[in-house]
Amino acid sequence: MTRRLADWSLWLYPLAFRRRYGEELRALLDGSSPRPVAVLDLLRGALAAHLRPKDTVSGCVDSGDRMRASMSAQLACWVLFAAAGFGFYNTTEDAPFTAAGHAHPVLAGAHVAIQVIAVLASGAVLAGALPLIVAALNQARRQPGLRRLVSLPPLAVLVFAGLTGMLVAVAHSEPARHTGSSGGIVFLAWGLAGLACGAICVLGARAALFVVPVPRWRLVTAFVCGTLVTAAMTAIALATAVYAIDLFADAAPLAASANGPLQLVSTGASLAVQLTVMLLAATLAVTTTQRGWRALARN
Amino acid sequence: MRSIGARSTDPGLLVLTSLADGPKHGYAITLDIEQLSGVKLGPGTLYGALSRLEGRGLIEALPAEDRRRPYRLTGAGSAALAQELQTLERVARRGLERLRVAGAMR
Repeated sequence: MTRRLADWSLWLYPLAFRRRYGEELRALLDGSSPRPVAVLDLLRGALAAHLRPKDTVSGCVDSGDRMRASMSAQLACWVLFAAAGFGFYNTTEDAPFTAAGHAHPVLAGAHVAIQVIAVLASGAVLAGALPLIVAALNQARRQPGLRRLVSLPPLAVLVFAGLTGMLVAVAHSEPARHTGSSGGIVFLAWGLAGLACGAICVLGARAALFVVPVPRWRLVTAFVCGTLVTAAMTAIALATAVYAIDLFADAAPLAASANGPLQLVSTGASLAVQLTVMLLAATLAVTTTQRGWRALARN
Repeated sequence: MRSIGARSTDPGLLVLTSLADGPKHGYAITLDIEQLSGVKLGPGTLYGALSRLEGRGLIEALPAEDRRRPYRLTGAGSAALAQELQTLERVARRGLERLRVAGAMR
């Protein structure tokens, strides 16, 4: 079990580091029987390798693969960000928040800005992904062995869409029965299922991206779209911060009101968690995007 | 006895010291350092140090043998190690002398 955890930990290292030292690290683990402390050491090493990338290993990855790695990381960040963003929408969609928005223009402005940027970013995700999806489908037609891998991300999206459809249908059929704690539990389960589907989608897309040959211009186009999505995530996180600060300043009772799926925490605490996740995802996206551009500038 | 986060257990210095008598691969470096200093470097720490030292031009990788790749000191690595060890030796000698004078060592 520890050995398997150690192997999995290696996947957390940056692509360039894995290409340069991955085989040696595996050989080292094969030669010893790693203890849990070695797994922790690998996790710490992976974090350090991400925080302090080395120029010596960056040459192990060409700009195409670097862009692939950056794009899959951008997608992962977007999925995480979207989950927090949906939480934000769910937290602030009720009538009292609309009324507060009418009374305080900063709240309304930040809320509208978040929604507009989110729509634009979703468009950029589609614009970046569609050419890659077309390339993957074409390749899968010629190479049947790829079909299962290529069908994984759309399958995950379809499953999530189906679950969402079911949730909406049930909520509309008997709204009175699905309020309070049971509704909250269903919502939480839906959110976790969404994250699981998102993880499958990201991992499948990443694996497909590395095996499907894609013309460079398509990769660059998709990477530019990913950069726009990264900028959008940063802008949305800032707008959310403005919203949260203004809510505390101008509508403190609303910020203190109970919120969340089980009404266990306050609106302010929910917003703080959502904002933290958004900032984390946006920061990771900015870091990986910078690496992609650096690699592009080198070649 | 409490550790004082000594410089002598810095992974980079330990790796350089281990390579001072010839090229070694990761596993051999780990074993050598454990015998040399009693410090067992984890795989993440070891390869973090190797990557750092390689980046600074203090060690270089030799062609891989099977899945293992030996590393050796470069000229700059030998010079840096010698300087570091001389500094440590000077500090250790003076520190021990002072302890003796103060009567803290018997």
